[in-house]
Amino acid sequence: MRRAQTFTWGGLVVGLSAAILVAFIGIPVGALIARGFIEGDVLAALRSPVATTALWLSLATSAIAVAVAVVLGTPAAYLLARRSFPGRSVIDTLIDLPVVLPPVVGGLALLVALGRHGVIGGPLDAAGVDVAFTTGAVVLAQLFVAVPFYIRSARAGFESVDRRLEAVSATLGAGGWRTFRRVTVPLALPSLIGGAVMCWARALGEFGATIMFAGNVFGRTQTMPLAILEAIETDVDAALAIAIVLIVLAFAGLLVFKGLARLGGRVL
Amino acid sequence: MIRAGIRTTVGGFDLAVDLAVDREITVLYGHSGAGKTLTLEAIAGLLTPREGRITLHDRVVFDSSAGVDVPPQRRDVGYLVQSYALFPHLTVAQNIAYGLGHLSRDERRGRVERFARMFGVDDLLQRRPARISGGQAQRVALARALVREPRVLLLDEPFAAVDSSNRRTMRRELRQLAQRLDLSVVTVTHDLTEAYNVGDRLAVIDRGRVLQAGPRDEVFHRPATARAAELLGVQNILPGRVVGADGGRVHVATGLGMVEALAESCPPADHVQLAIRAEQIILERPDRPSAERENRFQVTIIDEAAFGFSHTLVVRVDDAASGAPTLEIDVPAHPYQVLNVPTRRDWRIHIPPEAVHVIAD
Repeated sequence: MRRAQTFTWGGLVVGLSAAILVAFIGIPVGALIARGFIEGDVLAALRSPVATTALWLSLATSAIAVAVAVVLGTPAAYLLARRSFPGRSVIDTLIDLPVVLPPVVGGLALLVALGRHGVIGGPLDAAGVDVAFTTGAVVLAQLFVAVPFYIRSARAGFESVDRRLEAVSATLGAGGWRTFRRVTVPLALPSLIGGAVMCWARALGEFGATIMFAGNVFGRTQTMPLAILEAIETDVDAALAIAIVLIVLAFAGLLVFKGLARLGGRVL
Repeated sequence: MIRAGIRTTVGGFDLAVDLAVDREITVLYGHSGAGKTLTLEAIAGLLTPREGRITLHDRVVFDSSAGVDVPPQRRDVGYLVQSYALFPHLTVAQNIAYGLGHLSRDERRGRVERFARMFGVDDLLQRRPARISGGQAQRVALARALVREPRVLLLDEPFAAVDSSNRRTMRRELRQLAQRLDLSVVTVTHDLTEAYNVGDRLAVIDRGRVLQAGPRDEVFHRPATARAAELLGVQNILPGRVVGADGGRVHVATGLGMVEALAESCPPADHVQLAIRAEQIILERPDRPSAERENRFQVTIIDEAAFGFSHTLVVRVDDAASGAPTLEIDVPAHPYQVLNVPTRRDWRIHIPPEAVHVIAD
């Protein structure tokens, strides 16, 4: 039974500060959406070549980035959750680094490593492979900033799986791979999907590393956030339309993530 | 048959266990933290000992000197972990079928149905583990462990999550099951009553060492060391010295006075510990003359506690040397009433010589 809420000055202060914060985030977002629909024609602007091209490029690159993040990040997350090895905390911190690093620094680092004269880029260039300023570079930039979101969530998911279940699975004849597939992954699945969704949302909004490492080339490296930057000077309606699409996708992504977190809590 | 002789260290805890189990139920009994679960894990292959050798039905599954370490999935051991660890995302049927991946779909279904019936969970097959009771979970976990028809079954505190009213049935069923499926069973418990009721053989484990192992009654009535006696619930342990022997008896000088014990049970030692179970000491009225004087002591009751079916009296022997221990005596409810114990503090006790177990010190 809930106790009846009575008025207190403390309660008023807490409620007010919460209201200010909600307004601080809600008003700009609401204003942007309102302006897009009232003063401009969002739906028409979305059909402009700048918007459609950026939209498809963004969806394609972020999908590839998430796929790579899941394929490479899942084993890493499992190792971090289950094994202790020398340098574990260093590696753990390194993987988290892109979350706090300014993305433009990440882009610069990628450029230094993979640019034409970089440690990896040099030999690649000699072999005739260009990485920087290509669509591939967009994917790499997104992967760089977004993969920690997947690994963190996946790792927490693996850590939440009772190890006795894995031990029992082994005594029931299942090898490591079968146990991973039939017990560990299903039980960590809400965290894995949630992490992938967060990773995707972050990749979709990637700007700083992309512009540094991939540039802003229409049709090749110009994803939605970069298209906003260009369109804001020539076609405000298009900029607003793309921004609204990003807001909607980000919001949907968060809803899915939270829904999965609740689902995970209920199943286990 | 299980033969395990292993040495290892886990987080600063030393485990050095030697265990031999035949086709029967062996209870590994000890306090929590004694190394019971670690021993099971080593047999199941979930823990790799530093050194030693483990054979299951003459098959070497671990031998540090030969570099053999068969992984758990190929040891063919049924292992029931504490609180059962059913897979929460699978139904009861899927839990039981989990270890049958090598069979065809039809064989699998048949086997699951047969074992579900055997354990009385055939009406729960489509339920999730979150929606069944503790007793049902235990049955499902047992079915899951045994559906692969292992020859070795390891049980970690199998009755802990079961109502005490269901325990008795389950113990009987476990004994029948072990016979029917020709299983070597090792079950772990910290509960002495359970250890006594379930096991054919008893192994007492303490601080990572097996203190004593053997047929249940022998271990229960003839603890090998004072510590084993203590763990096996012997309330009275008296240090003493063997001063003579005649006519099948040995005379042991203790702080209570001279105590007679059967010579056949006496180890060849001077310094000994006498282990006497509280329920084997007889309370007598002090005013009734007794023809025999041996092992009879005048005592005063200094404390008392009731446990429903029996009363535990703590008594001091009147002529005891200073510093001599008090004795505990269990008196069943009926003689307690007949003797009208509460009416007086001074009594006489009789310790039958056959109730005195002599341990070399």
